[in-house]
Amino acid sequence: MPWRLLKIGLRGAHKEPRFFPEPADLRDSYDVVIIGGGGHGLACAYYLATRHGIRNVAVLEQGYIGGGNTGRNTTIVRSNYLTPDGVRFYDASVRMFQRLSQELDINLFYSTRGHYTLAHSDEAMRTMRWRAEVNRHLDVDSQVVDRDAVGRGIPGLDLDCGGSQPVMGALYHAPGAVVRHDAVAWGYARAATNNGVEVHQKTRVTGMQVENGRVCGVATDRGNIRCGAVVSMVAGSTPRITEMAGLSTPIEIFPLQACVTEPVKPFLDTIVVSGSLHVYVSQSSRGELVMGASVDPAVLHSTRSSFEFVEGLADRIVDLFPFTARLRINRQWAGMSDMTPDFAPIMGTTPVSGFYLDAGWGTWGFKATPISGSTMADTVANNRNHELIEPFRFDRFADFQLVGEKGAASVGH
Amino acid sequence: MPFRRSEAGPREWIDRHRTVHFTFEGTRYVAFAGDTITSALQANGVQLLGRSFKYHRPRGALSMANHDVNALFTTADDTNVRGDVTPVTDALDVRPVNVSGSLARDAHRHLDRLGRFLPAGFYYKAFHKPRWLFPYWERLIRRRAGLGTVDSAWTPRRRPKRYGYCDVLVVGGGPAGLQAALGAAEASLDVLLVDENPHLGGSLDYEWVTDPAAPAQRDELMEAVAASPAIRVLTSAVALGFYTDHWVPVSTPEGIIKVRARGVVLATGVIEQPAVFRNNDLPGVLMASAAQRLLHRFGVQACERAVLQVNNPEGFAAAEDLRRGGVELQAVVASGPGVQKADAAALVDAGVPVHFGWAIVEAHGDGAVAAATIAPVDAGGVPDQTHARRIDCDGVVSSAGWGPAGHLLYQAGGRFSYDDTLEMPVPVAWPDTVVPAGRMNGVFSLASQRDDGRDAAGRLAAALAGGPVSDPMSNRDTRAHATPWPVVPHPKGRDFVDLDEDLQYKDLIQGAREGFDNVELLKRFTTVGMGPSQGKHSNLNAFRILARYLGQGMDETGTTTARPMYHPVRLEDLAGRRMRPWRETPVQAWHGEHGGFLMESGEWERPSFYGEEADAQQVIASEVTAVRTGVGIIDVSTLGKIEVLGPDAATLLDGSYTMRQGNLRAGLTRYALRTDDTGVIVDDGVVGRLAEDHYYLTATSSHAEGTYQTLTRHALEWGLDVHVVNRTGQLGALNLTGPLSRRVLEPLVDVDLSEAALPRLGMTDARVCGEWARLLRVGFVGELGYEIHAPAGTMARIWDALMDAGAPLGIRPFGVDTQRVLRLEKGHIIVGQDTDGLTNPFEAAMPWAVHLKKPWFVGRPALAHLKGAEQRKLVRFVMAADSSAPLPRESHLVIRDGTIAGRVTSIARSPTLGRPIGLAMVDRDLAEAGQALAIRGDGGRMLAAEVVTETFYDPDGLRQNADAPEVTP
Amino acid sequence: MQQLDCPIIGRRPISEFVYGGEVRRPPPGDAPLADVADHAFNRTGQPTVLREWWFHRPTGRWFVLERNTLSNVVERVVPPQEVAYAIPTL
Repeated sequence: MPWRLLKIGLRGAHKEPRFFPEPADLRDSYDVVIIGGGGHGLACAYYLATRHGIRNVAVLEQGYIGGGNTGRNTTIVRSNYLTPDGVRFYDASVRMFQRLSQELDINLFYSTRGHYTLAHSDEAMRTMRWRAEVNRHLDVDSQVVDRDAVGRGIPGLDLDCGGSQPVMGALYHAPGAVVRHDAVAWGYARAATNNGVEVHQKTRVTGMQVENGRVCGVATDRGNIRCGAVVSMVAGSTPRITEMAGLSTPIEIFPLQACVTEPVKPFLDTIVVSGSLHVYVSQSSRGELVMGASVDPAVLHSTRSSFEFVEGLADRIVDLFPFTARLRINRQWAGMSDMTPDFAPIMGTTPVSGFYLDAGWGTWGFKATPISGSTMADTVANNRNHELIEPFRFDRFADFQLVGEKGAASVGH
Repeated sequence: MPFRRSEAGPREWIDRHRTVHFTFEGTRYVAFAGDTITSALQANGVQLLGRSFKYHRPRGALSMANHDVNALFTTADDTNVRGDVTPVTDALDVRPVNVSGSLARDAHRHLDRLGRFLPAGFYYKAFHKPRWLFPYWERLIRRRAGLGTVDSAWTPRRRPKRYGYCDVLVVGGGPAGLQAALGAAEASLDVLLVDENPHLGGSLDYEWVTDPAAPAQRDELMEAVAASPAIRVLTSAVALGFYTDHWVPVSTPEGIIKVRARGVVLATGVIEQPAVFRNNDLPGVLMASAAQRLLHRFGVQACERAVLQVNNPEGFAAAEDLRRGGVELQAVVASGPGVQKADAAALVDAGVPVHFGWAIVEAHGDGAVAAATIAPVDAGGVPDQTHARRIDCDGVVSSAGWGPAGHLLYQAGGRFSYDDTLEMPVPVAWPDTVVPAGRMNGVFSLASQRDDGRDAAGRLAAALAGGPVSDPMSNRDTRAHATPWPVVPHPKGRDFVDLDEDLQYKDLIQGAREGFDNVELLKRFTTVGMGPSQGKHSNLNAFRILARYLGQGMDETGTTTARPMYHPVRLEDLAGRRMRPWRETPVQAWHGEHGGFLMESGEWERPSFYGEEADAQQVIASEVTAVRTGVGIIDVSTLGKIEVLGPDAATLLDGSYTMRQGNLRAGLTRYALRTDDTGVIVDDGVVGRLAEDHYYLTATSSHAEGTYQTLTRHALEWGLDVHVVNRTGQLGALNLTGPLSRRVLEPLVDVDLSEAALPRLGMTDARVCGEWARLLRVGFVGELGYEIHAPAGTMARIWDALMDAGAPLGIRPFGVDTQRVLRLEKGHIIVGQDTDGLTNPFEAAMPWAVHLKKPWFVGRPALAHLKGAEQRKLVRFVMAADSSAPLPRESHLVIRDGTIAGRVTSIARSPTLGRPIGLAMVDRDLAEAGQALAIRGDGGRMLAAEVVTETFYDPDGLRQNADAPEVTP
Repeated sequence: MQQLDCPIIGRRPISEFVYGGEVRRPPPGDAPLADVADHAFNRTGQPTVLREWWFHRPTGRWFVLERNTLSNVVERVVPPQEVAYAIPTL
């Protein structure tokens, strides 16, 4: 029994300190306003306060902290991207994640499980090799493994996939991990508020004041706020915010759905993804299979669920793991994803001075939480893009300088 | 101690004439057909049915309504089976879940004593320091995870899903649902009535039994429903969720039926909510409706001597019901606004001690209930412990209140509000075509439930007729049916709010105190409502606790989202029949019969080559040689084949492709490259012109449908008078190619094959073997060749005839892998392999394919700017012929100065040239003739290559002359 | 499953349809880069009534709908002439 639990047990849980402070009144001025109290926004606030000494910061969250895509994703962390820009960025994120529990003093259940991206065709094998080569060039542990190695690494997997699209091999990414998503938001929220940041839940931004090309405040449903910088770190609502700032972006909103089964005893230790079958699956520390697929086929600003999503997913999962046929889906849900044309985020400075954007996270924003927070904090503090996010800059579309992740990640959790 | 009554009840589900034998934990038991696992075990006196998720506390029956997730079982071919609703069958072998050893002597039962060290969210607060120890803790914790165990030998039962259509779907076959179904049928609507139970009747089966008027009403309703030709009934059928456009999947024992209804009546009833007091989880503590279900459906008496907590009129009725059923009522405690003394008259008359203003504060027992402590409570529900009294009993039954089974209404866009009179949430808004009825709608008496069902059907009929929908009649009750505070916290805890997740009162308070003080955060921190029953008997009490903690109202406190599924549903049922449609070319059978090594390619299966996999390299090389020196034939029926007709045909193709197609002469073809708005290459193919207003074009196999869609959309978008016909499936195609191809074909056609008559890139309709066909003199592989397109019905005949005619000349069929080598020798790209999702034609070294002289085509605006701006370029490279080192593979990287400078997109050892050749996408400044490339191969070995500019094979295209001396007969 | 009104054969499940995205008119062939990029990449991302292309696979027909992307309600079928434009030809 760890000492910490002994202490709680002997002293009584009622003596536990508050995780979050009592909510404060909303003031009429802050140095920095961060829109969005998910992992990204809270991390940015934390790093602004701790690394850059900027503590007069308000995080405004329309619902509750971590209630957007931070709390709706399937919690996978990895860095096996295709482009060097992507690999460097996510590798930095993985490294931060690995030590985050200790830094934030909260057990995030960061669990390195290994991550297989199955390939069912020559084309897919080529892409896997491309990713493996780029990853290894940048010291990220990814390798192409053959069909037999997949069979050994994922007991119970039907390599013939029920009779069509047999597995030919996979990209194996040893650092692939899962982590308790909610706890990431809570850990950052606590650490940020401990350093002077204010987090205001149930506070919706309704407008933005821009004068002479410079942002000078936001309007909320609890009153107006003057500020020197506004950082939009929302997902699903990005176009509403950029519209307030008078900016056009390529971002479109597509629902992304997920579901879990009832808990069963652990049988799946690794994370398994199949781009061809459009599924990804892992087993949580509670014993549930956590599963998802690609985004819904049409733009929609809604978190409604669809039955065809679970039907299609079940069809594929039963092909991959026939013995899971009796497992029962317990719950399905959806988030709203910011999709960009090149499957890469849009980060950093914008044509509106003092307005910073951290958006376009598609279906993979959660795994970037620490690095987005830290690079955005650096960007805001210095008013220039951190080098790791420069490839993801706002104006790359105007220059036709897109990021080449599209080849890798139609379903890349 | 529960036991089976000897006399049969009028509504029993069991068939006392048929016994079944089953085994539980190795012990053999007898049950009746119709028993569930739980009812059978209860009848056999077995109360200990499971161990809880976290503390491994003993648990028994609670709801008997598909919410008993502490009584889950594993059978030979299933797990997490809910004992309260799953029938026992003969020879069924049932084991408990989440138990190490036996239920009674579960090795983890001591965890219960560690509860104080494992408060809500404990795992966030420990195990992470030091970092290196976490994996150890994690393994330990992970081993504890989960409930049932899956068996890797299980095989899926994939059954077809079915579709159901109706005017009105009624969910719930209780009094309101039955009446609603009748009402809708009377309005000439086609009705589907579904109920999750094996029999219709709902609460009429077990709850209204003591109401003298009820049996007649039940019989009347059931008979009318059975007699109505407009009503179809499905029992054991769970409506899983409500999805967009009245799409309600219904799970049945035979699989899922996806029901599309025009309107839905939700008469889904209420879910009884437990009272919270110390040890309220002991086997023998159950809800009144559960005791009644056991009694009337299964003839099982839940206990012999009970203490009852009653907070509503239903509770008094249940008490009287149990008393008449033979249970000795040791005490009935009753408190709160739902209690009227008049309701207890029968009990009092029968001499039952009824304590008004009292509540249960604790249950006692070791593994099963042995006693209960009751005490007076004040108006706020706080007990006066000084007057507490302990009463021996073997059952504790509570009727504390109800929560609406409003999941589907919520999913349909309905809203609920907490009714302070009824003391439960009730619907306050819903769509016109999705109407609540009955107890879920706050309607309680039997008569008013029927009124509400009739009213719901009437309003739904009006909505479906498009007429005005009247305001709902309010049939809602005007008195409380619950206590607003069914919670008696105990200083020593074990007062469970969520039995799925082992959450006690103090866990919720602790969560709120730590700042997780809204419903969503509290849920996520404590996991309340996240267990298998999804909060069906924990959410309402948890929200009450949070509301009281925050000093605010229930509506202000809010609720979590009720997501599908209503009850969990098996993956195999969701998956349904396995359906993977595939397509076959007209020559498919031939490939199989002649050694084709078949590989899946999208919806098709195509031969990679003809031979054994082990000999692939040699076979491919010999097929290449056959094509280069003799004649080969390949099935290319998978190509997209599209006919474009009409006065604007040329405009459509000029606008859709990068090259000019409008100036093409009839009888000729031209390469066709398609880009998107961003200038990125999408697909390529060949466009041929047959007449001024008639084109025929091909697209790659994977873009056949996409090309058709793009062209038809542009036709509309640009207002063109043109007709686009996708003939991909209707026509087959083959490519007969090699220097001897003309000699093979000539005797079989009715057209002149000379270079003058059918020149290179020419196209003509002809008769091949007497059948209509279209000949295209195009060659992906760089030899003289004829693509022959013909109707699928005649293609095989043509193929066979060519094989026969070519036999003396050594004709060889060749596969896709061979074709890839051949085209690489010729330097042709494969879109999607040599290009990626961002490659434009300039990067692909195909500036000649971009006709910027055209004022407009899709991609032109972008390509006009991208010309000359490319930062990378596709190059040809060669490697030393004598190298014995393994070749680099496709996707290996080009490295310069330790950084990535490109990648190999295609590579092969060329049988024709005798050396390795390839294509690579490299940084622009490396794209010069003679430039040395360093390619990192397997194992990090660096391999040298050299950029060349000239086409590897036959740069001047001399081999494609139909009149060349070696090709003419 | 959601249904869409196919103009040819009426209400059909959405699985029969292909989403074609927002209706946008391209810039002229010689447009400045900024206009080209705006058309090629930028989209109306915020919730609104969006004009969008849909393709019904069984009938092989494209059509244009006005759909509320917040409520998912189709408000109007747009006649193709309303979105058609002439392209310049040589």
